[in-house]
Amino acid sequence: MDIQSQDKSQVRLKGVKEGFYVTLDPTLPQVFLEEELTRLFNQLQHLASNSRVILDIGETQNRQDVVESLTAFLKNKYHVKSVSAPQREQQMTEDKPRKLDMPGNWHQHHTDALIIAGRVRSGQKISAKKHLVILGDVNPGSEIIAGGDILIMGNLGGTALAGQPDNEDAIILAIGFKPIQIQIGGIIAAGLPTSSAHTIEFAHVENQGIIVENYIKANPFGRLTWPVVR
Amino acid sequence: MAGGSLKRCALEGKIIVITSGKGGVGKTTATASIGAALALEGKQVAVVDMDIGLRNLDVVMGLENRIVFNIVDAVKGKCKIKQAAIKDRRIENLYLIPASQSDNKDILNPEAMVRFCKELRKEFDYVLLDCPAGIERGFENSVAPADEAVVICTPEISSVRDADRVIGLLYARSITPKLIVNRIVPEMVEKGDMLSHEDVVEVLSIELLGLVEMDSQVIISTNTGVPLVLQKESSAGQAFRRIAMRLNGQKNLPIEIPQSSKSFWKRVGQKIGIGK
Repeated sequence: MDIQSQDKSQVRLKGVKEGFYVTLDPTLPQVFLEEELTRLFNQLQHLASNSRVILDIGETQNRQDVVESLTAFLKNKYHVKSVSAPQREQQMTEDKPRKLDMPGNWHQHHTDALIIAGRVRSGQKISAKKHLVILGDVNPGSEIIAGGDILIMGNLGGTALAGQPDNEDAIILAIGFKPIQIQIGGIIAAGLPTSSAHTIEFAHVENQGIIVENYIKANPFGRLTWPVVR
Repeated sequence: MAGGSLKRCALEGKIIVITSGKGGVGKTTATASIGAALALEGKQVAVVDMDIGLRNLDVVMGLENRIVFNIVDAVKGKCKIKQAAIKDRRIENLYLIPASQSDNKDILNPEAMVRFCKELRKEFDYVLLDCPAGIERGFENSVAPADEAVVICTPEISSVRDADRVIGLLYARSITPKLIVNRIVPEMVEKGDMLSHEDVVEVLSIELLGLVEMDSQVIISTNTGVPLVLQKESSAGQAFRRIAMRLNGQKNLPIEIPQSSKSFWKRVGQKIGIGK
């Protein structure tokens, strides 16, 4: 059972819009990889020929030799049309953000952000799939949960859980930052010192701990060169 | 409350629930005082003790020894409303419908209370329901028939928290509550040892009906059964009279902020240029 599940995770194939997406671990022996590819591509039968294959070897660098030999193997045996590397977001070229910066380009962008107005009272619970924006106060005793960021345009007095279940890049921002407890991803900050500062503050994760800072002074997104979708 | 006014014809009375969430903030005192003050305005008023099993509105009003029938008998049809409603000794037009002491809150249900209050509307101009503490069955029973709600809160964090929860629950039932901040000690507020009414209103953000000062006359009144609103020297009694006037339609009556006598002289001193 163990071996089987291990096998599954080592060479995987799924159908995508452009063709087939193959994920594998290039550190495994060549013979094993070829065996696995044979097993998977035999199941595809005639669909394999003339198809586009995207070969994802993960984050491992400098294994171009593996990619080349497997490309040759697939082309010879199954007559696939092309084998290419997956487009990575990190490899986004300079052109793409420039295009994004042009006005009107985000018209097609859909977001799961929940934006609500009003006061959240004690005992009330609001949960959002992604980002949560509340125009109004969040009273002590209430609970707000989001898959992404939590932005409160008012006083935050309740419990705020951002980045649920495991997004530690999320932030919690409030104009009046006085929460009872906050949680970002799996990191909990209970018993926060009550700050009386009348400034916009935000909480974020740094070195596995939650840090609350003045938003204007820290300016966490000021160093991003281009506006990006969060 | 368009729905509430639609279902009532013009001549029928209003049902007002007095609630707080937290116990011991002065719901019963407020109910007795506002009821008495409304009756003094010439209205037919019934105050109803909804705290079944732990009744005490009758004790506060000094009518304990006159109870024959109670609300459970009236709701179950064992007696007429007229038999259960005890007439106050001092104030005309004021009636008490006491709670049962031997039952528990499960004996009533919201539907039965709505039916019962429909009958009460025909007899009285105002029906004040003294809601028990908590948000369980007793609260449900009291809120179900209500047209309006008055939330009592003291300037303590625990009381504000519970009032906030109750306000949320009232809004969920499309009742817009009004707020009374009770037991304000002006000296403590000035020193910063007590939440000010502004702090409370900021968190709860509902219409303010009145501010009531901490007053030792309340305890004397409770013990003797003499209505608070009949005592001219009681600041709390006078505050409740003004609250009753506002409830009775005098919307423009200004809200008086309790002030310590010390601060009054301080201010006079500042005016004439002595002191700092």
